[in-house]
Amino acid sequence: MASGIKDKVAIIGMGCTRFGERWDVGADGLMVEAFTEALADAGIERSRIEAAWVGNALDDINVGNSALPAAHALRLNRIPVTRVENMCATGTEALRGAAYAVASGAVDIALAIGVEKLKDTGYGGLPLRTKGVQNDLWMPYGSAPGTFAQLAGAYSARHGIGPADLKRAMAHVSWKSHQNGVHSPKAHLRNVVDIEKILAAPMIADPLGIFDCCGVSDGAACAIVTTPEIARAMGRANPVTIKAVQLSASNGWEMQFGEWDGASVPNTQAAAARAYAEAGIRDPRAELDITEVHDCFSITELVIMEDLGLSDPGRAPADILDGRYDKDGAIPCQLDGGLKCFGHPVGASGLRMAYEVYNQLQDRAGARQRGKVDLGLTHNLGGSPFNSVAAVAILGRLD
Amino acid sequence: MRFGIAAIGGYLPQLRLDRKVAAKELAWAGLSMPRSGFRTVADWDEDPVTMAAEAVRNLITAPVTALRFASTSAFFTDRAQAALLVDALALTSATRTSDLAGSRRAGTSALLDALLGRTAELIVAAEKRQTQAGSTAQFAYGDGAAALRTAEDGAAHLVGHACITRDLVDRYASREHPTPYAYEERFVRDIAVPELLIPAIRDACAAAGIAPSQIAQAACAEPVGNCWKGVAKALKIAAPNHCETLSDQAGDLGAAHALFAFGLALAAAKTGDHVLLVGFGSGVDALIFEVSTAVPGAAEMADLLAEGERIRDFTRFLNLTGAIGLDWGMRAEFEQKAQATVLDRVGRDTIGFIGGRDSAGNVQFPKSAYPVNPALQEVEQLADVRLADEEATIVTVTADRLNFSPDPPFDFGLVQFDNGARVLMEMVNRPASGFAVGDRVRMRLRIKSQNPRLGFRTYFWKAAPLSRPLLGEG
Repeated sequence: MASGIKDKVAIIGMGCTRFGERWDVGADGLMVEAFTEALADAGIERSRIEAAWVGNALDDINVGNSALPAAHALRLNRIPVTRVENMCATGTEALRGAAYAVASGAVDIALAIGVEKLKDTGYGGLPLRTKGVQNDLWMPYGSAPGTFAQLAGAYSARHGIGPADLKRAMAHVSWKSHQNGVHSPKAHLRNVVDIEKILAAPMIADPLGIFDCCGVSDGAACAIVTTPEIARAMGRANPVTIKAVQLSASNGWEMQFGEWDGASVPNTQAAAARAYAEAGIRDPRAELDITEVHDCFSITELVIMEDLGLSDPGRAPADILDGRYDKDGAIPCQLDGGLKCFGHPVGASGLRMAYEVYNQLQDRAGARQRGKVDLGLTHNLGGSPFNSVAAVAILGRLD
Repeated sequence: MRFGIAAIGGYLPQLRLDRKVAAKELAWAGLSMPRSGFRTVADWDEDPVTMAAEAVRNLITAPVTALRFASTSAFFTDRAQAALLVDALALTSATRTSDLAGSRRAGTSALLDALLGRTAELIVAAEKRQTQAGSTAQFAYGDGAAALRTAEDGAAHLVGHACITRDLVDRYASREHPTPYAYEERFVRDIAVPELLIPAIRDACAAAGIAPSQIAQAACAEPVGNCWKGVAKALKIAAPNHCETLSDQAGDLGAAHALFAFGLALAAAKTGDHVLLVGFGSGVDALIFEVSTAVPGAAEMADLLAEGERIRDFTRFLNLTGAIGLDWGMRAEFEQKAQATVLDRVGRDTIGFIGGRDSAGNVQFPKSAYPVNPALQEVEQLADVRLADEEATIVTVTADRLNFSPDPPFDFGLVQFDNGARVLMEMVNRPASGFAVGDRVRMRLRIKSQNPRLGFRTYFWKAAPLSRPLLGEG
């Protein structure tokens, strides 16, 4: 039986750019910015990197496909570099690749880097892409908010919660992230917004208003991983380690088979269950200190709280309104502002989440510091509720 | 019963323009235009193929040997619309097909050929004609389709006919002038009535062995208004002309006009009545029918006129009819290129909405080697199941206002069929309160994607409410 990845990989350095409308820099510059910070944090030379995984989801926007854009930008010299793409879960996918390489013993030190340069599309929101010449014949081209908005009606139908009550809980999700984002120097959106303004915002995809949607940002984030033994040898007595990294992908069941009611994301549930088992977590509500989840839209975060088992089914709206996931709540969520306010450069987001947890674990989060943090969870979701890739990672300290 | 019309059907788009609204918007210009009644307005994703499919789909209750498609506004000039319809309707590939064009008379001519040839056929005519903003045609025309099935067991049979071919240029459209160019109405009326309509109808009646005054109901296409008045007076015909009603309530449907009005005439006719059908355009077809029994589908066509949704914004009408080109921004630049290889591989299943039933009885779309049913583990061959005629229920839905649509918002979501199939679909004919989880829907053939640069489009089915609103007084 597989023993899992728990405590087999340590994170010794991380970097993250300022997210936002980075008119000043391209994808290569973003990668350099994050990588330089990570190298300094790790205290190693670039030449120590033995393998790299680079994640970017939209290769047609100023990044380019394959490993080469990263290899060129970072001047990685004839080492194996692998490009990964799993939609918005790409960042965690890159971390997973690097971590597995170290855990397997294939390399001692590996790099995971995610990057996206969304603001080179010329407009707001994610670009529309073909779904393949065969699927294009029948599959609708909904926008990202259009796909996730559909959670709301289905959630109301399942739990008997009226649209107005649900919308108020969704507004609290966004309000909370704006409150937190103010304290993130690298966040895209650093302003507080009151609930009434959120509720009255122009509609993007019913019932998602503009404030229910995350920022569309440029940015990069990266992690340098090694074994706990090497980390200790490098002077880290109690390094940050990966307790679990799990991934779950749809096989068409949600979209094609008549069982799912559309009010949850089964892949999040599956990835979380495996991650908890891998990390040895029996009661996530008691054991997790913080979470960074894929709040691409307010309704997504609301549903995630149930899919991760942090709220009982149908109870997430009440828990949210009770402040359970606020900065001073029982299990703070998005202390850095999340996708909503820190921003969402697609390929970088999973690593940005890890960056926040990594800093919180080491008491380096400044004004956002939660106090003593022993265990944090990241949840990274690609695709749509009905056709998704969910990634869950859990980070902690070795001892 | 004898060989003749076995069934008839029609389709009108849901949207209606109140001509008074248009007249008010353009009052400043002092333009001449019809100022009463309504015209039908096709959605952005409706065209002659989609409307033809809707008109004919309920008529396929018996085998046919041929399908004839008539239109002066067909999108493809070197790709048969009739062939698309064979696949959309899941007819056998042995069906003989032809596209007829070049005249508003193409629909009646196709019907006459089928009747004279005594072949079991589907004849369908449809129009979505481009018009210039402010033109009389823009408000006089409508979009729609009509279809008939001929068979040995006809409910109405041809008892006489006459044709006159004449290149009378009352109006024309061409590749270089795709919108209609119309000549003076007085000239057209003065030639068409005495030299074409009256002789043709008189000869048809003579062939049928009846006096014109014996015509009980009429569907006589008029090149310009008030022609029927002159015809009826000269031939002493007291019958109402249902083409006039159709023009007033839906607009001139071009090649489909006389055929649709024929359905209205048949709905009003009694057993033993003689019904006149006249197609006009580069000449005249005049056909006299005797009604043996109620023609299936005719009564439902009359109901279509009472349905509809008023267009509140004149600019929306201009946009839908292509009379103005809005700048939809960069999102509208997204270009889909359909590939012939893919269309050849899965196009028939797509436009026919053919899913597959697995060995456990579950239906899925599209088909796959490994069934989506989690109870099945092996590769298997799925049995064809057509979903186009099935009802379904909305599982998830949103009105997407970010995604580009030529007529926002873009409604889409998961749709659950009663047979187990679940499909992510676009939705059309949005109700006033929007779509909601649990709503029942039916399938409508629509344009899935269009590529203006390459001049190509693809078709798929979209979910629509089971019923339509009544037009009412508004």
